[in-house]
Amino acid sequence: MTADTPLLEVENLSVAYGDRTVLHDITLSLRPDEVLGIVGETGAGKSVLARAMLDLLPGGGRVTGGRIRVGGRDLATLPEPERRALRGGTVALIGTDAKSLLDPVRTVGAQVADVLRAHRRLGAAEAKAQAIELFAKVGIVDPEKRAEASPHQLSGGMAQRVVIAMALIAEPSVILADDATLGLDATIQVQVLDLLVARCRELGMGAVIITHDLGIVARYCDRVEIMRDGRIVEEAPTARFLSAPATPYGAELLGAARARPAPMARAAAKGATERPLVEVVNLVKHFTTGSGHVVRAVDDVSFAIPAGETLALVGESGSGKTTVGQCLARLLDSDGGAVLFRDRDMLGLPEKAFRPLRRDIQMVFQEPYVALNPRWTVERLVGEPLGLDPEMAGAEARRARVREMLELTRLPARLAEAYPHELTAGEQKRVGMARALATRPAFVVFDEPTTALDIRVRAQIIDLVRELQREMRLSTLFITHDLNSVRSLAHSVAVMRHGRIVEMGETERIFAAPSHDYTRMLLGAELPIERYTAA
Amino acid sequence: MTLSDTWRKLPRPLRIVLGRLPMVIPQMFGVIFVTFMLARLLPGDPALLMLGNMATEESIANLRAQLGLDGTLWQQFAHYMLQVLHGDLGISLFTSNPVATDLMERAPATLELVFYSMLLTVLIAVTVSVVAVVRPRGVADYFSRVYGLAAGAIPDFWVGLLLIFLFFSTLGIAAAPFGRIDPLVTPPPAVTGFYTFDSLIAGDLSAFRSSAGRLVLPVITLTIVNAGALMKMTKTTFAEIWRSDFIRHQRASGLPSRWLVRNALRNSLPPIITLVGFLVGFLLGAAVLVETIFSWGGLGQYAVQAVTYSDYPALQGFVLVAAVFILVVYLVVDILYELADPRIET
Repeated sequence: MTADTPLLEVENLSVAYGDRTVLHDITLSLRPDEVLGIVGETGAGKSVLARAMLDLLPGGGRVTGGRIRVGGRDLATLPEPERRALRGGTVALIGTDAKSLLDPVRTVGAQVADVLRAHRRLGAAEAKAQAIELFAKVGIVDPEKRAEASPHQLSGGMAQRVVIAMALIAEPSVILADDATLGLDATIQVQVLDLLVARCRELGMGAVIITHDLGIVARYCDRVEIMRDGRIVEEAPTARFLSAPATPYGAELLGAARARPAPMARAAAKGATERPLVEVVNLVKHFTTGSGHVVRAVDDVSFAIPAGETLALVGESGSGKTTVGQCLARLLDSDGGAVLFRDRDMLGLPEKAFRPLRRDIQMVFQEPYVALNPRWTVERLVGEPLGLDPEMAGAEARRARVREMLELTRLPARLAEAYPHELTAGEQKRVGMARALATRPAFVVFDEPTTALDIRVRAQIIDLVRELQREMRLSTLFITHDLNSVRSLAHSVAVMRHGRIVEMGETERIFAAPSHDYTRMLLGAELPIERYTAA
Repeated sequence: MTLSDTWRKLPRPLRIVLGRLPMVIPQMFGVIFVTFMLARLLPGDPALLMLGNMATEESIANLRAQLGLDGTLWQQFAHYMLQVLHGDLGISLFTSNPVATDLMERAPATLELVFYSMLLTVLIAVTVSVVAVVRPRGVADYFSRVYGLAAGAIPDFWVGLLLIFLFFSTLGIAAAPFGRIDPLVTPPPAVTGFYTFDSLIAGDLSAFRSSAGRLVLPVITLTIVNAGALMKMTKTTFAEIWRSDFIRHQRASGLPSRWLVRNALRNSLPPIITLVGFLVGFLLGAAVLVETIFSWGGLGQYAVQAVTYSDYPALQGFVLVAAVFILVVYLVVDILYELADPRIET
């Protein structure tokens, strides 16, 4: 094998499930020391492609045409033992959700050692020693102790490092990272990917990064393949793609990934001494864990949101941002402080007195599918909160309002009769919004509205929120860790860490000149494509 | 604080055992109380029952005093408790032996039967379900489906009689269904009470052959009846884990199939442990029909006899011993369960 032999070659590959072809005529190659990005939305066939490269097509898929060569050898003609040796030995896969990829009842050190022993003749103790050595290299602190831990004792980022160690330990020549950092905090994502790519470069491995995040591609990939509906629609060096995508679809993706122009002019004129619509004063919420530990989830938090404005609450998972939102909507009882809504403290109100206020204070939940009753139609779901509104007693009035809401959230009217499981993720989010907006609230808490959505869907949701805000003069609390959407939506930003707000200010100011170290770290972990597309 | 720190520092298996063991004391107390109340709730005066219709007032009063039945309920309970703690379970009305002696004689018979049946049940159920899942649409898969359908519907006495008819009466290759050992062979001196173990300890090969041969048919009968449930459950659990992300990831990492099976099986253990524990407790009394057919002379038969002849001390003794045995089984199950799943907090 010369230095120029591609590590991995896919030639006119087609894959079908029954009569349905899911991959059409895919051709791509990976050279040594190259990082290739494969980008596509949900259902584009990225994961099937990755599994095909390991000859592990899930659930009855079969190759109907073309071939895959690994290091010049045709995968289809290899005998089974060599194919097994190739998995993990030559081509290693890193999947999504590291915790689910680890055996829950065994120590992680043993699991990594197992992979090594599957590919080399080694004793258990020696394999374990090498695993621990590698743990240190993938940034696991205190590797000896961690090696003895079970997966449930690790954080998501730590588990992801273990999975990376599993992929690296047999020194393969190709790493396939299939949405490997999905669901991790941005700061962790950057650490993990930096490390992975650095290791690959160091060892001269090739890597294929499969993702729907163009920011990741921009930062790490030499070349990018754009996939859509099982086909590769565009292939280009990353820099060229980012500066001038050749296909309309590529251009559309790129446009969707860009942050929207700076937030709208402040709704309230600076001089006006209008009181804020919502004011949170020294809010406190403690949780007591099973073992009697007190967790200060929200620790003395204060902020104000003027009418018609958006405050973004950003921070990593566990920082307490969702808890703040739930305290505001009174889904959780607070342990101290006050929440003034139109200058009236709502926390002290008895449930009966607060109930009419719920019309004005609504929440859009993080996981739309979980938050929607699966046995109800969209019409019933959207109409339910109208029960809070005495003017909406008549069935006709309700019907009209539901139609209006569907239109407002750009949902086709025919979906009124659909059930949640029949909707796409983007449609579910919209139903969640329509439901929250049905009573025409003055204040809405959005909990991670753009997380885990495809690029274009995310852009649509962001545009929708912007328009809604303009049309309804909404005040919103926008809870997220997606900084791209913060830039596009928020007037001001509050950065939360360990239950406290460490920095707060206007969006432009925070992004341009963060003053707190933690804010700088958060911003540093963002992978905006603007940094690479700017000429 | 320091105490809980020391506790945390103990190895996990030790914490599990130490945490679970003390629970046995209140459980035992409860069991003894319930068996005591059970006897009180039964209709009729035990003294009258024991002496029969011809008893005089005086002899009844004497016997009542002797049985400790003349005090208050709590005095009686204390008396009973004391007796139980001394291993005195009363005298059987039917055999005229101390109940404890009777039970000690019969319990090993049943336990030996249950032991080998469970061994075979687990072996067959787990093997078949693993092979059925790993090779779908193979022989094992179809076998497990057909058998799974039939298993719940086969009565044990019918299987036992069928096996006797086929292998003893017709083919003549199986040992006679008359007890645990050939009457012409001397049973080995009791060490464990299991004839197969004791004969090996004594180095008596003819006794071993005879007792092992006698075990074959009843063990197969119980296995055929019980393996179905375990097989169905193991198959479901194992299949789910076999499809899980982490097994797929291990396959993608190039681990050999045998390791994958081992790891998936390790993850399927908790429900298997629970069901096996349940079956052991269940078989203790439920093997009675099989014991009767094979003239086994075990606990189940003794209990039925006790009921038939209104032998209350024997019945009470049986219930107590069975309950204690089940307690011990569940203790072991709980401990194994926690050992098998590190996610359980201890």
